[in-house]
Amino acid sequence: MTVSTQTVSTIQFPYKRTLGPVMGRFFSELTARRIVGIRSGERVIVPPMEYDPETGNELARDFVEVGPAGTVRSWTWVAEPIASHPLDRPFAFVLIRLDGADTDLVHVLDAGAEDAVHTGMRVAPRWRDEPVGRIDDIVCFVPGERAETPEGEPGEAQEVTTMEYFSTITYTDVLSPTLVRYASNLRAGKLTGQRCPQCNRVFLGRGYCSVDAIRLGPELDEDLPDRGVVSNYTIVTPTPYPGQKETEPFARASVVLEGDEMVIAQQQILDLPVSEIRVGMRVRAEWMPEAERDAAEITSKGWGTVAGFIRGWRPTGEPDEPAEQYMNRVF
Amino acid sequence: MTHERVAVVGIGQTKHKKRRDDLSIAGLVREAAQRALDDARMTWSDIDAVVIGKAPDIFEGVMKPELYLSDALGGAGKPVFRVHTAGSVGGSTAIVASHLISSRVHRRVLAVAWEKQSEGNAQFGLGGGKSGSIGAGGAFAPWIRAYIRKSGAPEHIGWQVAVKDRQNALRNEYAHLQLKDISIDKVRESPMMWDPLHFLESCPSSDGAGAIVLTDEAGGDAAAADGRAPAWVLGTSMRSEPSSFNGRDPIRPQAGVDCAWDVYRQAGITDPRRQIDVAELYVPFSWYEPMWLEGHDIAPVGEGWKMVDRGETAFDGDFPVNPSGGVLSSNPIGASGMLRFLEAALQVRGTAGEHQVDGAKVALAQAYGAAAQYFAMWAVGTDKP
Repeated sequence: MTVSTQTVSTIQFPYKRTLGPVMGRFFSELTARRIVGIRSGERVIVPPMEYDPETGNELARDFVEVGPAGTVRSWTWVAEPIASHPLDRPFAFVLIRLDGADTDLVHVLDAGAEDAVHTGMRVAPRWRDEPVGRIDDIVCFVPGERAETPEGEPGEAQEVTTMEYFSTITYTDVLSPTLVRYASNLRAGKLTGQRCPQCNRVFLGRGYCSVDAIRLGPELDEDLPDRGVVSNYTIVTPTPYPGQKETEPFARASVVLEGDEMVIAQQQILDLPVSEIRVGMRVRAEWMPEAERDAAEITSKGWGTVAGFIRGWRPTGEPDEPAEQYMNRVF
Repeated sequence: MTHERVAVVGIGQTKHKKRRDDLSIAGLVREAAQRALDDARMTWSDIDAVVIGKAPDIFEGVMKPELYLSDALGGAGKPVFRVHTAGSVGGSTAIVASHLISSRVHRRVLAVAWEKQSEGNAQFGLGGGKSGSIGAGGAFAPWIRAYIRKSGAPEHIGWQVAVKDRQNALRNEYAHLQLKDISIDKVRESPMMWDPLHFLESCPSSDGAGAIVLTDEAGGDAAAADGRAPAWVLGTSMRSEPSSFNGRDPIRPQAGVDCAWDVYRQAGITDPRRQIDVAELYVPFSWYEPMWLEGHDIAPVGEGWKMVDRGETAFDGDFPVNPSGGVLSSNPIGASGMLRFLEAALQVRGTAGEHQVDGAKVALAQAYGAAAQYFAMWAVGTDKP
């Protein structure tokens, strides 16, 4: 049975930016529906910077209110917005020279149609109903001189010091032929590797020898035992972070396959309290039921993982091996 | 052919903290860089090239931050380089900068390394964005167990290093942790995080940056003539090895042995224990102090812990290790190697203040990264090589 030659992964995290005194002021002013730049010599830079971008010199905190209207200096039309775009209908990304500024602000323009956009046109902000101190407090710019402002006064500026940034990335990993073969064999309940003809070491899923840097092709495939020895382990007290599901101390063991070959790292030992895991303990793989085997964890960055195929390792009850011989083998 | 002599003439660092909520990332690197420029009596326009180092971008979620930081570090119109060698990067950044001068490509180079851990989460980052991250502690704990078992070291060695480095940090105004009441009992009774490592045997998460200004020989001579002793670079080296292969000795990696001897050879050191006055070693978990003493042939194999036990690595010992307080007291990951390298320079310049080791003339700095597989080291001295 073959497996897919690609795996798709998503990682995401809510980063928390510290804005510092200058960008913090810019975002704070947005909550009062004001746009500020900073004076740098003869120029006014918008958004403000802590330093002169040409010399690196620190700028005095001389903030200047600019806009809210401005002139489009350049633009590009987005005919088919995607989910991460700020508007859900066709729009233009624009460089706007706000009145009183000497640099251009990147923002979006809601102009309806591409032929309504031109360099030199006048635009003004459409403000969000409830400003929060982010760049999208300006929902977008619209053609004309007049800002679109919700009813009522915005009130005093609120102090904004941080910005939440929810980052998400989905990427596709293309598997090497060696990894595809490795995963296919795992699906069939077999652990396979390639033995280097020069140094006699076995490697899982790499297709080359890490020591001799030579290619290890399919002609060097070898079945490996699904039994081994716990060479070392770690007991982790989990710390909370976004995405962390572990709440109790958990153990991860390294297993050296029988015959002192490859190490399989970060394995679970089944049916044994964490405190009873020992170096030298003999274990045997417990495979997932065939229907549940899944190659989603096989990626080009995770050589030799058995996640999705082997649930964990069960002590065989045989006498332990001498620990010293194995302890160095962790990854 | 001889290469250009390299001098460290400016040193700066931030106050390292759990969260520098007063500074943007640009503000953080500028705080360190401005201090290094001030120390060197230079301005941004005096610098020919900028080298920026940090650990993985996933820690802050800013991809290729060196692009955004080029302006912040006065890099407009100049060559700007990014270095990334995992945890050893702060050291590699200093070394890359020194090579730009020793090769006579540039005369005055600013090197800055940083991390703003509070913007993200290192456990998340090191776990590849998934649940159940073992973190750095979980990765190193098994090797530490192996070291303890093989060397026969008593368990109090780890606690002793944890106390010693925190006491040194009390002398260093820039250090993150200021644990005035640290004690062996407190370390022993702190929670077990990654068996056999206790919470207080582990480094903190910090925001921070470190910066140095390096010059050619003429720049070093000029600083000396002005009464500002430079630190002369005596030797630099970087070495790598694969994380995993049968037969690897991860407790005393060959790359670390080779890296050290490459530096010793350049610096004319044949007996590191006698010829080096002070060392800043990358010790994020307490047991790595004896492990690196052995891993860099400062102590014979199996004897590193005895140096610790006898108090020889203490501030008033005859081979002080980490007078700055070390990684155990401040860990802005990407900057941590730079902090070792700049502390070594502070020591041989005689400008380390309260944590100055008397008579330090030759200092060793080391940083390591990933699965103890990337090494960066330099030796610096009071006297011109």
